[in-house]
Amino acid sequence: MNVLEIHHLTKKFGDFVAVDNISLSIEEGEIFGLLGANGAGKSTTIHMISSLLRCNEGEILILGKNIAKHRKFAKMNIGIVPQDLAIYEDLTAYENVKFFAGLYGLRGAQLRNRVEEALQFVGLSDKHKSFPKNFSGGMKRRLNIACAIAHRPKLIIMDEPTVGIDPHSRNYILESVKKLNAMGCTIIYTSHYMEEVEEICTRIAIVDHGKIIAEGTKEQLKSIITNTKDIQVVLKSAENVDIGELKTISGVEAAALEDNTIKINSDAGVNNLNQIIEKLMKNGAEIRSLEEKAPNLETVFLTLTGRQLRD
Amino acid sequence: MLAFPIVLIMILGTALTNAFDQQTVAVGEVHVLYKDKVDGAFSEGFKTFAKEAKTSGVHFKKILSDTDGKQEIKQGNYDAYLEIENSGIKLYQMDKNSMKNSIIQGMLTAFANRYNAAQEIIKAAPEQAGAVLGDIPGDHYIKETSLSSDRKPNSMDYYAVTMTTLIALYSALSASYLIRGERLGKTADRLIAAPVHKGEIFAGKLIGNLVTNGLCIFAVVIFSKYVFKAYWGDHLALVAAVLFSIVLFAVCLGLGVSYLTRTGEAAVAIINVLIPLVAFFGGAYFPVEGAEGVLALIKDLSPLTWTNEAIMNIIFADDLAAGLPVILLNIGLSLLFLLIAVVSLQRREGL
Repeated sequence: MNVLEIHHLTKKFGDFVAVDNISLSIEEGEIFGLLGANGAGKSTTIHMISSLLRCNEGEILILGKNIAKHRKFAKMNIGIVPQDLAIYEDLTAYENVKFFAGLYGLRGAQLRNRVEEALQFVGLSDKHKSFPKNFSGGMKRRLNIACAIAHRPKLIIMDEPTVGIDPHSRNYILESVKKLNAMGCTIIYTSHYMEEVEEICTRIAIVDHGKIIAEGTKEQLKSIITNTKDIQVVLKSAENVDIGELKTISGVEAAALEDNTIKINSDAGVNNLNQIIEKLMKNGAEIRSLEEKAPNLETVFLTLTGRQLRD
Repeated sequence: MLAFPIVLIMILGTALTNAFDQQTVAVGEVHVLYKDKVDGAFSEGFKTFAKEAKTSGVHFKKILSDTDGKQEIKQGNYDAYLEIENSGIKLYQMDKNSMKNSIIQGMLTAFANRYNAAQEIIKAAPEQAGAVLGDIPGDHYIKETSLSSDRKPNSMDYYAVTMTTLIALYSALSASYLIRGERLGKTADRLIAAPVHKGEIFAGKLIGNLVTNGLCIFAVVIFSKYVFKAYWGDHLALVAAVLFSIVLFAVCLGLGVSYLTRTGEAAVAIINVLIPLVAFFGGAYFPVEGAEGVLALIKDLSPLTWTNEAIMNIIFADDLAAGLPVILLNIGLSLLFLLIAVVSLQRREGL
């Protein structure tokens, strides 16, 4: 059964088309990754699914019901973990979860049980009387999740839930996502961290300029670029490196610089390694290591969009 | 929020005690020159009136044939000059705003009204005319009201009222943050994503803010009444209703301004400029008297002017009728600002 179906969804802000005729469906039990650079249209899509924005064209079905006609039903079945922390600093952790769960009609003992359950799930039971202002970034992120799951939604939308937190909290959240999924929740997950998406998502859509340009499992996406090889060059310093110059080398499809590392996607049939090294040396770069890797999701993204996820 | 008005009442009420000492102003004897050009009932009625007026310190003197009445008042020999004709009474005065002339105008208006009433009664029931025109024991042409009431506001009474209404008006500041705070705290998205209509969210925020500010104002009244011994009169329920109407006005003003402005900073800036101005001209810090022209207009447009005056009249003149018009005016303006906020909310995606 499809938990979510989107048909020809379009959203315009004035003349700007933020989401352009998107269609997709997500089955029950999936962890669906939405990948896209800033401004690609993924947040707008998420906002329309969660009723924060109205679409100009198209329709969204939650559990088979059109959200325009069954808005309350749709909202009851969706939990949203916004990218920005959406919690009240002047309420305790318990009060925060209780307040938001109360908006979904939970009352009395059922409300108390669900709040305790949600706090326990995110590992904040012992901090239920504490105020978020005393929490670390990771703990706040976990409370943000607890506020979204206490009413036991069928579909949980997580928009960058691991932004700006320590590795320990990130692992905790990723494990929580897997656990929620195991408990029967369907999840839409967006992240700038490709390795997270690769680790937990069962299916992925790549969004660029408001359109879905690729969709499928990790393997299906990687198969799109079987003719591509992924070259990674680590430099001592990338000060004088001209990325544009590298793109002129025969076979190079995309190149991007991140810190002192250059990531190049090249046609697997073209032997251009010597030319790449030569160009870099000419620019005065000191090569620390050079590696030719099998394509990963990042390679797929770079190849399809011509830019890195964090651009 | 609670401490601020209480401290202000204490400081201003104590420091400005002398400024509110009860003073009496001596008006003195009033001398009016008149020329009677007619005979008959009107002339007779006027003579009776002039006789009665003498007991109130207003002396009417019939003009001699060779005297120029207008010249007499120009020279300051008399306070006013009257010409009684069949068509009515012509009044000549030098300074229309002086207290003496106000008294003369008031008395003549009262006389004219009574004479006109008598004429109507004579047409319908001639036997009753004497009861209207004749001497009635205890009858006055000057009615003394609050100016000589048993109690006048001392500084503590005055500032208890004005600081309470001022703080009520400052509810606009917290109200301007009601919805903006949810947007800034990013909780607006979670609220909109919940199965609650945004009208319910808006109403909940509005009612919550009204109750909070209403309770705060109530606490200030009770504290000033029992700790500072400020006098709140015998009609506390009506005073509370007027106070609640200004809280409602302030909250709706804050909401309206927050939706009219693009940024929260702009809303706060507008309110922070508006309220001190309104407070100053509304008599929050000292009574504003004798304002003319633009200043009088600003004073009259200040919600604190009409609210403070109504409360003072209810407390110190037992003028219960002063409350309702102000309550209705405050509610009317509140609805206007509320309408602006609701229309903006409906047009906006999200809160």
